[in-house]
This record gives sequence, structure tokens and C-alpha cells, in this order.
Amino acid sequence: MDTLSRRNFLKLSGAAAVAAAAPMLTMEAIAQAATMRPLPLGTPILIVVTLYGGNDGLNTVVPYKDPIYYQSRPDISYSQTDLLPLDSELALNGSMTGIKSLWDQNKVAICRGVGYPDPDLSHFTSMAIWQSASPDHHVNSGWLGRWLDTQARDPMLAISLGSVLPPLLAGKTVAGSALPLGGIVVPTGSLAVDCQRISATSRQDSKLMASAATSLRNLFDLSSTITPILKEPIPQPLDLPTANGGVAGGNSDLQQQLDVVAKLVAAGSPTRVWSVSLGGFDTHANEKGAQSILLGNVSSSVARFMSQMRATNREKDVVILVYSEFGRRVKANASQGTDHGTSGPVFVIGDRIKGGFYGDQPSLKNLIGGDQAVTTDFRDIYASLLEGVLTSPSDAVLGNWAGKTDFLAKV
Amino acid sequence: MDTTRLEISRLFHRFGFGPRPGEFAVALKQGVDATRARLLLQVPPAHDVGLSMVADPVLADLGNFPQPGTTARATFDTAMKAQRQMLILWWLDRMALAENALTERMTWFWHGHWATSIGKVEYSLPMYLQNQTLRANALGDFGIQSRTMIVDGALQYWLDGGANTVTAPNENLAREFMELFTLGVGNYLQIDVQSVARGLTGYRVNRSNGNVTFIAKNHDSSTLTILGSPGAYSATQISDLIVARDDCAQFIADRIWFRFISSDIPRPYSKPINEAFARRNILETVRAVATSGAMSDPQYSLVKSPVEWFIGLCRAMAITPSKLAKPDRVIDLLNKLGQIPFAPPNVGGWPAGEAWLTAASAQYRLQLAQYLLSNADTSAIKSLPSSSRVRAVGDLLGVASWSFRTERALRDVVTDPARLLLLAASSPEYIVSA
Repeated sequence: MDTLSRRNFLKLSGAAAVAAAAPMLTMEAIAQAATMRPLPLGTPILIVVTLYGGNDGLNTVVPYKDPIYYQSRPDISYSQTDLLPLDSELALNGSMTGIKSLWDQNKVAICRGVGYPDPDLSHFTSMAIWQSASPDHHVNSGWLGRWLDTQARDPMLAISLGSVLPPLLAGKTVAGSALPLGGIVVPTGSLAVDCQRISATSRQDSKLMASAATSLRNLFDLSSTITPILKEPIPQPLDLPTANGGVAGGNSDLQQQLDVVAKLVAAGSPTRVWSVSLGGFDTHANEKGAQSILLGNVSSSVARFMSQMRATNREKDVVILVYSEFGRRVKANASQGTDHGTSGPVFVIGDRIKGGFYGDQPSLKNLIGGDQAVTTDFRDIYASLLEGVLTSPSDAVLGNWAGKTDFLAKV
Repeated sequence: MDTTRLEISRLFHRFGFGPRPGEFAVALKQGVDATRARLLLQVPPAHDVGLSMVADPVLADLGNFPQPGTTARATFDTAMKAQRQMLILWWLDRMALAENALTERMTWFWHGHWATSIGKVEYSLPMYLQNQTLRANALGDFGIQSRTMIVDGALQYWLDGGANTVTAPNENLAREFMELFTLGVGNYLQIDVQSVARGLTGYRVNRSNGNVTFIAKNHDSSTLTILGSPGAYSATQISDLIVARDDCAQFIADRIWFRFISSDIPRPYSKPINEAFARRNILETVRAVATSGAMSDPQYSLVKSPVEWFIGLCRAMAITPSKLAKPDRVIDLLNKLGQIPFAPPNVGGWPAGEAWLTAASAQYRLQLAQYLLSNADTSAIKSLPSSSRVRAVGDLLGVASWSFRTERALRDVVTDPARLLLLAASSPEYIVSA
């Protein structure tokens, strides 16, 4: 398929402007402004992939030469022949062929032993810590939400796929937008006029009522720019099979989310941050098969997305972050699963990335209460992404955080 | 701000899923105290005319999954799906029709608290039995509720209880029991999680019907130290030990506050609330919360979750969810809004507050309101003179007050009652409990 050019995008925008030109649509000017300023080519874009449930890092990036690995989890360990070796010590889970191929192209940074001081084994606390980037004290804003706070207001700037907004994108004063997979259907005609009227700002609104009004107004902003784009076909991956129905096992939700992101990135949506997610990693029981399906899903969805990006002119612009709230216990439990653990690997993927390992691999000899040590603070990764991808000082988001992870290539 | 109207509106929406036709106007005449007493009865009426119209679902034990690809499996899959829909609609009907909805409202609260999803359990029967357990214990003694829930079939299956054996325990249930159900994070150590997991070994769940059996040889009966107390523990003893902690009293009172008063302003010290839950008495605690000064303080507004908003509209319009022409469509839209009963997103339950206020949810809320109101009886509004319709819709929906913005928009559509109701139901003043 032809690359969606700037001209094509403006053509789509024209259609959007017509759709939005229902009588009295006061948001028209804003919507049109959004469509008239597509993200300039070469602007870096961050795609955050959150793996909910606590991904077992030890069976993702496997220390396949370490006898302690095999002793600790005899029923759920992988032998070398089932793995994809990365070097003489570590190998990827055998289901991750897509990411392995990107690794071979030097596009994958694997940050090892990532976590934060005094790891918390609660899903909710730990995910809140990762999403708020505040391990020391509870804050109500997400790290990318606080980045949004520093930017000019624009509902297109940060978008999460799905109808509920993750805390990640909630700032102190601004929040990102949520986009359901099916896209947004804008009310039309007299209903549109009515909706505009009941969602106008009012000084009598409480904070939450004002948010409710904003969400209804944003429906018009978002829908007028996004709906026409969603009707376009997905950019075809250049080097992956494209048979209808996809590979065995069917489309996954993550793949659908990334397909929508691919379309919108290709169309030049003025969006710097995308958030997608996959659940199901809380593998207390019968882990091996379940986790390998999930990791295969992550790997093939990411590889497909990168391939779609190669079919556009945005391939050099996108950087993908893949993380989970914690790793899992080194020793397996009796249900062929693992309980909650501490540190785990984080993947940062893209053309702008210098492939390789970052941070020390936590030892299996010196465990802390049965768990792996934290060797890399996740804020090092965030700081590098804020400065290198979002081209913003990290202070406003992370406070005075000095650490960095040097995975970004000079562009 | 008319604080009487505000407090009565909050009493209806937060403790009873919203008023039924006529109730709000009557309550305004009777005043706050009488309304509170009526909505939070010490003993809910034994015979509830609304509930008597909702038949309990008949859910056969469907047994094990037949082999894929067989006709038996196809029949089984159809039955599973039918049971699931029957179960969801049964509960939505109860919420919408109950004359006194406090028990349903509290069952809904506890369902979100002990959040168990049919997504993993799959069978409807154990989910139904858990729901009945929560209902029977919705307003009683939290200690008894906790004892019952710790060995509930659906919860045990959901948190891998059956896979937790003496040879190598599985910590899932133990951790979530303390973190999310009783103590709150930070009020126990990892060693306590491990000890509780060992103490909870020995239960086996029959997944299709939720029957839980105790197998003594799989139980770890050695001496364990839980929260500093050594002993050999049964599940009941573990529950009792943990529920007796002061941290449990604080935590449960905080959770009630979070869902009924404010999801972003923390609970201030309150003697009546603390004293009520010191006795682990749920009804007294809820009454203390409903009587607190926060109820008339405008800063404590709360976003209605999708189900709460939907049920409020059903009650106001006298709609029975299962009797709608397309109940599938309702379930589909609730799913898109992110909330279907029996299917919380994870063991932490549903989100709260601004998470429900996205452009995406605005779209689906509109679609759902359009569907509900396209079939609703609007004759009560139609029979009124145009000049009193805006006020009447406010009373029908139990809205505390209209902003000038919304009032103007509503006034311009009074000649079309369906459109008037659609706008009112989609307004910030109705989506949020003021």
C-alpha cells in the first residue's frame, strides 16, 4: 500500500472538517487545527506497552547456562534447545522470534534487573509506582501525565487504546485521551448541538463534573480527527504474512491495539505518546504455556508494528517501551507457576535504539528473600525516554533524577 | 447550593442506585433524616414487591468441559453462554427493581471488593453462589463475611486456592486476602503472606459447581507465625486473626468511604465510623458514613460507575433490563464502558473517579442512554406543562441541581420529552453524583 503522505492526510482532514461542520459545532475550529498540523516527520513517538500481572522475567530473558535457574524451577524451566540465545549466557523465550529478529538488527535494548528500591510485591502498589514513577510516596499523577502538564493542551497528544484511561496518562492538570478499539462515532445533527451545549464549561461545575463535561467535548475533538483515519486500511507490513485472519491463534487484542496505533501514526496524527496493554501475566499456576502464548503475542505484535512502520515514513520515529510491574519469584511454586517477585527485564525497541544489554543481570546466587536484586532503576529508563524521545527535560516529571540508560543512538 | 436537595440526592444515588418515579419529590417533603432512615433501614423489608418480580436463575451444574469439536461441546458452550447472560440480567434486574436497594447496593460494593471474575471462573453457578453469599452477608458482621469468603468456591478458584498445597504453597489467595480484602497493603510482611498461604492449604474446588472440600492431608498443620502470633491455623482461624486487627477496621472503613463518599479525598478521622466498624458491624458503619457531615459537603462528589449510572436510569424510567428488546446490546455497551457485573477487570476491582470520564465512555454512555430512552415511557413528563418539565426531570432523576448551562439547554428542548431525558441523563450533573 502507498504510504499515507501529508497530502493524503490533509485530504482526510478535509473529510473530517465536513463531518464536523454540523450546525453550531463550536469545537470545529479546534478539531480542524488538530488535523491541519500533522506531526512533522522525524518527530519521535513513544509507544508504551504495559504488561499487567507481573511478567516472569526469568522465563523471558533466560539465564540458560545457570544451573541455579534449572534447580529453582525444574517443571517450568526451558532447555537451551527451546530458547533463542542472545549471547553465551542469556536467551529469549522461544516464542519471541519477532523480537529476536529485531535484536539481530540491533534495534532492541534489553535493560536487565529493572525495578526500584524496596520492591513491593503488590500488583496494585507496584503498578502504581511504575505508572506514577514515584516509589517513595504516593502521588495521583502518572509520569507521562506530568509530561503532558508541561505541554500545550491538545487532546491528541497522548492517547491510550481502550475506553478506560490508565493512571500513566493522568497529569495534575491535564489527562491523555482514551480511544476505544472500534474508534469513535461522533453524534451528529441536533444531538451533536445538544451535546455541545450540555458540555460547555460552567463555573458551577465541581471538578468531577468539569471532567465529565470535558470528556464529552473531547469526543468531538477526537472523533473529527480520528474517525476518518480509522476507516482507512491498516498499513500493510512489508515482510510478514498478511493472509486474512492472521496466524493460528487468531488476532490478539494487543495486535488490534497496535494496528490502530499504526494507522494513526502513519496518518500523521499529532500524537507523541501512545499507550497499549496486555493482561494475563499473573501466572501463579500452569505458567509455561500461558506465558509463552502471551510473550509470543507481544513479540509478534511488536514485530508486526515495526514492520508496518517500515511501510510508512515513520519507521525511524517510533520507540517502543515494554515493561511489567514486577518479575516473579525465582523458585517455582507447586502449581507449576511462580509467585510475585521483584526486578525484571525491560525492552526498549526502535530504529533509534542501540541494541544490546544494559544494566547487570541479577545473580541467582545472591537472592534477597528468594527474589532477584534490582540492578537498574526504572527512572533511568524514563529519564532517557523523556529527554531522548519526548525531547523534554526530565526534571518536571521525575524531579532531580540523575540516572540515565544510554540506549538511544544519536540521530 | 441547596444542601437538603444535595444530601437527599446523594442518599438515593450512593446508597440505593437512585430514586424510582415519585420518590425524590416525596423525600424532599419528608426531609433528610426521614429519607436516610427509610433508605438505610435497620431491617430491610422482608417482602420487597420489586424483588419479588425477579425470579432466581435456575443454573444447572454443567460439569466438565466436553472435548472441543464435539456436538456435546457445542451444546455445552451454548448453555454456558445462556447461563452467563441469565446471571448478569438477573442481578441487573434486582438492582433496578428493588424497592429498598441498599442490600443490592452493598452486594455490589462487596462484589467489587472481593472482586472475582467469571472471565477465569467461567461457570455461572459458582459466581451465583458467591453472589448469594455476599448478599446474605452484605450488611452483617464482616468477620462472618470474611470467614465465608475465604473458602468460597469461586474466590478459591479465582486465586488458585486449589493449587495451594503443603508441598509448595501458592501465595496468590494469601496475598490478596490481606492486601485487598482485609488489611490493606503495607500492613503485613512477606513472611505473613507465606505463612497464610501455608495455613490456607488443603482446599480443593469443584470448578463447575463451586463445591469446596477440605483434604486434611494436603493441609499444612505445622506451627505458623502469622502477624506475630504463632499457632496451627485453620482458614477460619486465619480469617478471625486478621479481621480482628485494627488495620482491618481502618482499611474496610476506608474502602467504604472510597466508594460512597470520595475516591480522591481521604477519609478524615471520624469517631462514629471507627466505633461502628470496631464492632465489625457493616450496617452500622454504612449508616455512620451516610450520617457523616461529608454528605452535605459539596467537595465530596463522586463519579457514578457505568453500572450505577445505568441502573439509576433504569430505576427512574421503570425499566426492567431483562425485558428490553435487546438485552445483548445493553451488555455489549456496558462492556464497552468497562463494567459488567461478575467481570471485574482484576482482583483489585473496578477503577473509580476520572477513569470513567473519557471521550470513549462519553460516546458509549450516549449510545446506551439513547437505546434505553428510545423505548421508555415518557408520558409522565409529557403530561406536565412545558414550564415545569425541567424541574420534573431533575426530580425524576434525583439530580441535586442543574447548572445554568444545562438548565438552558434543557429548557430549549422541553417540547420533546425523550430528547429532554436523553440530555439530562447525559449531563455532567447526572453522570457525577454532585
